[in-house]
Amino acid sequence: MIETVAKLVDTTLCIGCKACEVACQEWNDQEFTTGVFRNTYQTLPDLAPNFWNLIKFSEHDINGEQHWLMAKYQCMHCADAGCIKACPAPGAIVRRPNGIVDFVHENCIGCGYCITGCPFDVPRLSPKTRKVYKCTLCSDRVAAGLEPACIKTCPTNCLTFGSRNDLKFLAEKRAEELRKDGLANAGVYDGPGVGGTNVLYVLKHADRPQDYGLPKDPRIPWTVSLWKGPLKWLGNTVFFGGLLAALVHYIKVGPKEAHDEAEN
Amino acid sequence: MASLAATFGRGAMTNGWTDVVNADVILVMGGNPAENHPVGFRFVMEARRRRKAKLVSIDPRFNRTAAVSDCYVPMRAGTDIAFLGGLIHYALENKLYHADYIKLHTNASFLVKEGFGFENGHFSGWNAEKKTYDRSTWQYESDGQGFAKVDPTLEHPRCVFQLMRKHYERYTPEAVANIAGCSAGEFNRAAAIICSTGRPDKSGTILYALGWTQHSHAVQLIHTAAMLQLLLGNVGVPGGGVNAQRGHANIKGSTDMGSWNNLPGYLRLPRANHTSLDEFLKANTPKPLRPNSMNYWSNTPKFMTSLLKAYYGRHAARKNGFGYHNLPKIGESDNNSWGFFFDRMHKGSIEGFLSFGMNPVANGPNTPKMLDALSKLKWMIVVENFETETAAFWNAKKLGEKYYSSFIDPAGIQTEVFLLPAACFAEKDGAFVNSSRWLQWKSAAVPPPGEAKPDQEIIARLFLKVRELYEKEGGKAPQPLLQMSWDYANPLSPSLEEVAREVNGRDLAGKQLNGFGELKDDGSTACGNWIYCGSWPEAGNMMARRGQEDPTGLGLFPNYAWSWPANRRILYNRAASDAGGKGWDPQRTSIRWDGVRWTGDTPDYKADAKPSDFGAFIMLPEGVAKLFAADLLEGPFPEHYEPAESPVPNPLHKEVSSNPLASVFQGALDKLGSAKDYPYVAITYRLTEHFHYWTKHMHASGELQSNFFVEVPEELAREKGIKGGDFVRVTSARGSVEGPALVTRRIRPLKVEGKTIYQIGIPIHWGFVGRVRGPLVNNLTPSVYDPNSGTPEYKGFLVNLEKV
Amino acid sequence: MKQRIERFTSTERIAHWMVALSFLYSALTGLALWSHRMFWLAAVFGGGETVRGWHPIGGIVFALLLAFIFRNWAAQMKLDADDRRWLAVSHKYAMNQEEGVPAAGRFNAGQKMLFWLQSSSALLLFASGLVLWFPEWMPRGLRLAAVLLHPVAAVASIGGIIVHIYMTTLVVPGALRAMARGWVTPRWAASHHAKWYRDLDRR
Repeated sequence: MIETVAKLVDTTLCIGCKACEVACQEWNDQEFTTGVFRNTYQTLPDLAPNFWNLIKFSEHDINGEQHWLMAKYQCMHCADAGCIKACPAPGAIVRRPNGIVDFVHENCIGCGYCITGCPFDVPRLSPKTRKVYKCTLCSDRVAAGLEPACIKTCPTNCLTFGSRNDLKFLAEKRAEELRKDGLANAGVYDGPGVGGTNVLYVLKHADRPQDYGLPKDPRIPWTVSLWKGPLKWLGNTVFFGGLLAALVHYIKVGPKEAHDEAEN
Repeated sequence: MASLAATFGRGAMTNGWTDVVNADVILVMGGNPAENHPVGFRFVMEARRRRKAKLVSIDPRFNRTAAVSDCYVPMRAGTDIAFLGGLIHYALENKLYHADYIKLHTNASFLVKEGFGFENGHFSGWNAEKKTYDRSTWQYESDGQGFAKVDPTLEHPRCVFQLMRKHYERYTPEAVANIAGCSAGEFNRAAAIICSTGRPDKSGTILYALGWTQHSHAVQLIHTAAMLQLLLGNVGVPGGGVNAQRGHANIKGSTDMGSWNNLPGYLRLPRANHTSLDEFLKANTPKPLRPNSMNYWSNTPKFMTSLLKAYYGRHAARKNGFGYHNLPKIGESDNNSWGFFFDRMHKGSIEGFLSFGMNPVANGPNTPKMLDALSKLKWMIVVENFETETAAFWNAKKLGEKYYSSFIDPAGIQTEVFLLPAACFAEKDGAFVNSSRWLQWKSAAVPPPGEAKPDQEIIARLFLKVRELYEKEGGKAPQPLLQMSWDYANPLSPSLEEVAREVNGRDLAGKQLNGFGELKDDGSTACGNWIYCGSWPEAGNMMARRGQEDPTGLGLFPNYAWSWPANRRILYNRAASDAGGKGWDPQRTSIRWDGVRWTGDTPDYKADAKPSDFGAFIMLPEGVAKLFAADLLEGPFPEHYEPAESPVPNPLHKEVSSNPLASVFQGALDKLGSAKDYPYVAITYRLTEHFHYWTKHMHASGELQSNFFVEVPEELAREKGIKGGDFVRVTSARGSVEGPALVTRRIRPLKVEGKTIYQIGIPIHWGFVGRVRGPLVNNLTPSVYDPNSGTPEYKGFLVNLEKV
Repeated sequence: MKQRIERFTSTERIAHWMVALSFLYSALTGLALWSHRMFWLAAVFGGGETVRGWHPIGGIVFALLLAFIFRNWAAQMKLDADDRRWLAVSHKYAMNQEEGVPAAGRFNAGQKMLFWLQSSSALLLFASGLVLWFPEWMPRGLRLAAVLLHPVAAVASIGGIIVHIYMTTLVVPGALRAMARGWVTPRWAASHHAKWYRDLDRR
């Protein structure tokens, strides 16, 4: 059996150096652009079709102390992936046996439903190619037995790559250590609402993930679930039930004939 | 570097990056390693993860290091000595210092001559007219045999310990808070953490960088840090030390190999009054000041003779002083450091200039003066990877008109500029020396593009051509060139392996030397740099080793690359043990005395000498480290002096506000501003996204930080009606820059002498050439320098701020 | 005697069939994206990317033409008292019972309901479709609403059309010809739209 792979982001060790951003850009052969000044150290306001790994910088006062939080943001490779759920094109988004959620661009039709389906708002539609892009967890590198580019380059060991079970254990252990060290709210963020993510975070303030730019309780949006669940059944019932009903009606009741007395 | 040499004996990071994992407390001050040394910073993070080390960050800005620290204290730029002096006071007052350590390993017990004192901002011996000190009262009291008198009880009122206590009496937490602008509570919180390492079983390290070196009192500042670490018993100990983080991949190598301040291996530059080798050696070979001082610099004749032998080969013989006369000499009291050199160029007394891997227009202070200086040259050769601001200086007006108002008109510039394309670091082999003193050999990754040539080929071709001209046409002093030994297989492009072997040194038979212990002063050995001796012995290139064994478990990695001196990983490691040779913390000493010899790391000591035979600081005539350092120009104890431009007069002594010995020039372009016209304190610094003025040519860094900006405290921005992204103009007495404001809460307003002081942060990195462009920040900075090291004051100068 | 009554003008008929075609295209390409099992429809219409590119355009054409029809017919589609009674006994109509089913005007209440159903679902499809067309420029809240509303409206619309097509092709002979050629017989008119027929007669 192939083990589910994952990456662990220990935000307590992130120094916002952006090496992961560059490694991601380089390995994935992305075009580098120049940005506009936006009163922040953050490279871009958000992920982009050609920028899949972004460190979010945010400032908060927590318990009266100044915090400058940095956490890298990218596809979370959810077990219950909203993008896969929302995608209408067979084979465009696939879950690899190792748990990587991968976009297969020749099958992508560029509808962008995955963007809406994603509880983390990660995929980005390229206006140029009309296809959707996001972190692949370097599925090409992983397939060749290498770790993802961001992990390889991280200077502080903030990023670790490995089997999800191992990392989950390590993450819980680290969070436990931090709690012992007096950080009562330290914890692991792994999106139970989406069946667990293959990117795990250790957060000093796990009670407030939104301060790191992570959604508080990520779930596949209910409108998408409703659409892909009950509504689909309802629709099928309407379409096929309608045809069937017509058939039965025709056989049992039949056409309305025009009647003669009306001619008077 | 100058300061650490004065205090400990060598101008180098005492420990090393990998050793930081052994620290219990990491004080980051005058540096921002999370941003500027992110790879080295992994060891800080490891220490925090493995041993729950506490990270303390003291900085004007809440930067990315502060963001991951346990304790952050804001401070006003240029008040580090006050802060560190406060820590010394705190350690002494609360008896947190390591008493046995300072008795054994420092000059705390040395008696100082009668007459030494400090009053109203000046030490004894001040000559107001000449603006220099007569340092005769700063000397130790002699016992009549040339040795210093000591009082092991530390109670004599004239012993260094008592003098120090007295000197720092004024540096109470309240006084520090009043100068630095933090609160006394914040100071005490940090002090409690930092001084907790005074116990024998704790060690604390200090990491610093250009935030300390770029002051007009930088050397004194670093000496204060060294004193604190000595008091806490943190020098020589794993996880301790005063660790300078160098700014460039090979800046350590360039200092080691000799710059304007020294010959290779920190041998002093010959001066005009040293007319012969013997006189030079007499002036530069120290005598021991204590009976048990090893005084390793007494070997200076061996190092110098071997160096001359390497330079002049068969032309170096006993009868001609080994070619000593070929060495250029500087004037008896000349200063050849950066500021003085460019001042001379600015005054028109320099004809030609070879700018090699250096971009003075961008990285020198006071850009207008720098441009003016270059325009006085007849010719300039720039050897670079790109066209730099220096190479294009004559066109600054046109290229930079978007960013500045007044640059010199190219019409009047007659300087002829030659731009030679050079290979970049990845296109050549050779060794990098990192902050940890590791010489790491690397291979070329790709060949240089186009006509770019490796540096050594450019130097060789220039040298051979000039020598040919001397041979043909003669000249004033042809000998230094004609006698220079140049025995390379390909004289036009010596291989760096050949050069590295030459630097290591060999005997007359051509056998590679194993270490500087084999150097002789009779001309039988040649060595290009004595501290590198052992890097390439007969056994091969030690620098290319990549062994990851760690037998001591302390992260020394003795088989990884090669560390000067003698592959020693932690300097002064003898100091980690007590008089009997037992580690202060037996778990944490890199060398152990087994009764016969020292094992573990290469001992910074004689390997088989008993613990009691010598002092632990073998490079100093005292044999011990110096809390009291008479060789520093401004005084043996560091005193808080304000930056040359300061928002307030020195709260300790208003009449002597800034460093009385700072190198300040008086030319028309060397203007200084006052707080009346320029009310805000400015600091310049680097960002993690860029490397100096180079990566603005690069696509990736250009994306990560495309734009120049000015960091403005929220409160000041509100006062001035500035919103994030609004264009602002920052003006100093030298010039101005314009750019968007980054309005931030990460630079706090400070209360100093009851006044609210705002600090403005200005990252460097941009210029008028490159892929991403912006103003040259040094348009603002003053041409004021530290008198010992010649480093310009980039931190803490005065500016005004307006919305454009 | 073979008398012809004009039931739909040529403008009405052309508009209807254009709407019908654009609807059919939009519905089938839409169904391709409804379910992976129906994705084969995408191949019929030139592949997934083509479908993604042209479905919104088909939808726009549909919506514009429908708007044209709406303008022409909206006034006639108001429900009157008879219609309400008609609706109350529509099960009888469905079972071909005529007793108690009020006579219909030009359009019976069922047709009027279809008209309103198609008009409102088209409006919804159009609005939500615009959001889905350019997800990169739309706020997330709108997109979340659109992914639900678009298929809801489509189901309603297609459901209505199934009934419509069945009725006009199989249940009411002559209805298809009425929309194709434009005329009906008096007998047909009197049978299916007695009130309309009477009104015509009176005039």
